[in-house]
Amino acid sequence: MGHDAQAIDRAVRAAMKGDADAAKTLPGRAGLGDMVLNWCQANSLWPLFFGLSCCFVEQATVFTGVYDIARFGAEVLRGSPRQADLLVVSGTVFKKAAPMVKRVYEQMPRPKWVISMGSCANTGGMYDVYSVVQGVDQIIPVDVYVTGCPPRPEALLHGLITLQDMIRQKNRPLRPVLNLEGGHLGGRDDILVPGETKDRDTRGPGMAGIPARGTSVTPPLFAGSRSDDMWTPPAPKFPFTPVHESLREALAARFGELLAWHESPVDMPTVTVPVERVVEVLDFCKREAPIRFERLEDITAVDETARKVRPDHDFTAIYTLTSLSSIEYLRIRVPVGESLELPSVTAVWPSANWYECEMWDMFGIRFAGHPGLRRLIMPEEWQGHPLRKGDPQRATEMAPYLAEDARREQPEDAVSLLEKAHAAPPARREFVLNIGPHHYSTHGLVRFILELYGEEIVDMTTDIGYHHRGVEKIAEHQSWHQFIPYTDRLDYLSGAANNLTYLLAVEKLCGVAVPDRAQCVRVMLAEFYRLSNHLLWLGTMVQDLGMITPVFHTFREREQILDIMEAITGARLHPAWLRIGGLAMDLPDGWDKLVRDFVTIFPKRVEGYRRMITGNPIVRARVKGIGRLSLADAVDHGISGANLRACGSTRDLRKVAPYSGYEQYDFDIPTREDGDCLARFEVRFEEMVQSNRIIAQCLEWMPSGRFMADDYRYCIPDKRDTLRDIESLIHHFINATRGPKVPAGEAYAATEAPRGEQGFYVVSDGGNMPYRLHMRSPGYASVQALPLMTIGHTIADFIAIMGSLDYIAPDLDR
Amino acid sequence: MPQSPEYMSTGFNAWDPSVFSLIVFALLAAGLVTALLTLSVVLTRRRSEGEKGRPYECGVIPSGSARPSYPAPFWLVAVFFLLFDVEAVYVVSWAVSFTRLTWASWGQITFFIGVLMLGLFWVWRKGGLEWGMTRKR
Repeated sequence: MGHDAQAIDRAVRAAMKGDADAAKTLPGRAGLGDMVLNWCQANSLWPLFFGLSCCFVEQATVFTGVYDIARFGAEVLRGSPRQADLLVVSGTVFKKAAPMVKRVYEQMPRPKWVISMGSCANTGGMYDVYSVVQGVDQIIPVDVYVTGCPPRPEALLHGLITLQDMIRQKNRPLRPVLNLEGGHLGGRDDILVPGETKDRDTRGPGMAGIPARGTSVTPPLFAGSRSDDMWTPPAPKFPFTPVHESLREALAARFGELLAWHESPVDMPTVTVPVERVVEVLDFCKREAPIRFERLEDITAVDETARKVRPDHDFTAIYTLTSLSSIEYLRIRVPVGESLELPSVTAVWPSANWYECEMWDMFGIRFAGHPGLRRLIMPEEWQGHPLRKGDPQRATEMAPYLAEDARREQPEDAVSLLEKAHAAPPARREFVLNIGPHHYSTHGLVRFILELYGEEIVDMTTDIGYHHRGVEKIAEHQSWHQFIPYTDRLDYLSGAANNLTYLLAVEKLCGVAVPDRAQCVRVMLAEFYRLSNHLLWLGTMVQDLGMITPVFHTFREREQILDIMEAITGARLHPAWLRIGGLAMDLPDGWDKLVRDFVTIFPKRVEGYRRMITGNPIVRARVKGIGRLSLADAVDHGISGANLRACGSTRDLRKVAPYSGYEQYDFDIPTREDGDCLARFEVRFEEMVQSNRIIAQCLEWMPSGRFMADDYRYCIPDKRDTLRDIESLIHHFINATRGPKVPAGEAYAATEAPRGEQGFYVVSDGGNMPYRLHMRSPGYASVQALPLMTIGHTIADFIAIMGSLDYIAPDLDR
Repeated sequence: MPQSPEYMSTGFNAWDPSVFSLIVFALLAAGLVTALLTLSVVLTRRRSEGEKGRPYECGVIPSGSARPSYPAPFWLVAVFFLLFDVEAVYVVSWAVSFTRLTWASWGQITFFIGVLMLGLFWVWRKGGLEWGMTRKR
């Protein structure tokens, strides 16, 4: 892949076409001027911050004190293509985001180079799904590939060194700089063409013409799945209490025979409601029922067309309600008729807006009376509704995404998006500004459209979906175990904390009891990832406010945490280390020393940050009284986690509905009343101290015993057991290959993830893969409520509000 | 001989070596700027490359013009700050040599501050300092 070789190719091709000047396109020998220019270029690389996912965080890590990108001549990564000569595309390139990658590349000055970072950017990686581009080299030329998922920061640094070598050896920049013929001014200028220079077959090169196998065991066909022959006990039954009976009676008294109760639900009372009465029932549950369900947790749908036991309707809408006052959940199932239309519940809960848009986008279910139904996640011109069982799953089954597509399929115009967000647009538009998708302070690819009068925000809307990795579709084609690594990446800063939520839902369905030691390790890992997330949030938020120093310091402790994670799990960001029923393996020797070192120094470090940041009058002035949110609005909009506790609520799932043994730990729930940026800031600050307390208790109390449940029906058995008895060996073989069969049913589990309440809704059809999986992401609700917090503030405040919310793009877009 | 401010101002002349070096420095700076600008004009490849001509707006195509008629109160406040900030140079230098000065110089600086205050009141009355979220729709 050298420049010389390409230049020779080009010259030969030009000569074959009869171009007399072909030889001039050959790079000549390097002169002194070339060497001087190359030295300058190689030692002052200015990389552009183009982060799409997990790799982006590792890319950000290289500019902190530990890894120090300054050695390449640039002290910081650049925010704009105008300032940069190196584009590092880090992470998954999505079809909705690809036009921007191409534009940003074309807006860079010459000379320009491209590093493709991570297996996702190189080939689509593990995300071979409808929304993903199979490698950025199909739309822009790539000079250096950095492999890994995600690559370590050192790998990126090595990529930079490789690029420096390439510049020194392959570049002949003097003649082009002086406007003369010949020479070569940096960077490739060819892109790869699928089928000719690039292979998109997921099985690797050389398989062209051989049909892909295995489709018969995936929906909608299922033929020949051996899971059908297996027996499992039925899923556990939900224990109804008198409280639930009173709810049942109240609903029956009001709606009578209309409601059909699910007789043996797994996780929460479940009731089926006909389409016509759904708004009425939801309104009753919110305002009048004996248990008030103040919050709409989630709305989603299930495509029933590929069920083994097929109901007579094609889609079921699932409404999950949460009661904050009595800590209960309620599921309402609504069979959707032939018309594929439901009444909108936005009048009851404003947060239903995005959920209903998503249902339209993903399933094609319309909502009557919705204020602005639009494609929220998929691009406007997308054909079909991807979460339907009949729509293509893999991007490799679809036509390749090429440079022409990136040029044609531009993101929608900002004004038209503003108009769609409102039923009645204003008579005159003020100045419309895009913040994002590719912006230094949007914390991922998200697009905020602001309408400004002077510096004041008079209107705003949000466009998401630039980071949609289609995990819900992927889940339908992975065995229950295989999906665990994908959960790591859903919120790429929370690693094992995401595993935990998913596994709690699956374990609920399977009725697996997790041993104490595994529970304790899970809690410890989840708290470590909470710390890692909050440290990154802290550094980047104050950096958005213009305070550069703290990010270098907070990444120091973050690296220490990741080193501990690596010692225990073998990976930094994405350990995928929890398993159904326990852990992948036991804690390594010496883990306690690492953890003890950390818990002793950490409180002092946090105190230092408190003095450095909250003691700073400018930071306080930037965040105090900014972005206020009332508790009532927060609940109505489904906001959870630290953002909710900053409004005065004490709800923390670790306390109110303990899971994984959180009830045994002694810790406090910090809250604030103001609901502004400062309150959100302080709540997270204190949460770090509390997490450290929990970790210290895990260290002291770590129980001995098994790290994996001893009922091996659903678990991957301990390897030592497989060497002793044939039963374990058989279970190991089955569960590690086609995966366990999970009893038919549906379950929802939520945990207090670092960003708020993260929930997984899993539906099993009694097969070896989820029939449907849906994630309730905390950021979705917070970002949807942004107009409440930002309209009336200035554009500078907007950055502070965005930072204080602590959302993250893959969690938002899934 | 006591060094009074009056002496310092009369001793400031174009032939003094320090002023000469200042002129040399200014010429060098101007020469460097001219050389850099000329080189960049002569050497730059001026080739239109499509997307590069378009304003960068976070990777998407911008809506409308980048030059709308819209109020910029923050900018105004910044300009006023600069204008009224210059007075600090006079007032501070006057204040540090206060004990050596005469009533006449006191009268002069008072007049100067008075004129500035009038300007400030005028700006204030005109609404130039009204910066905030006043507009409600």
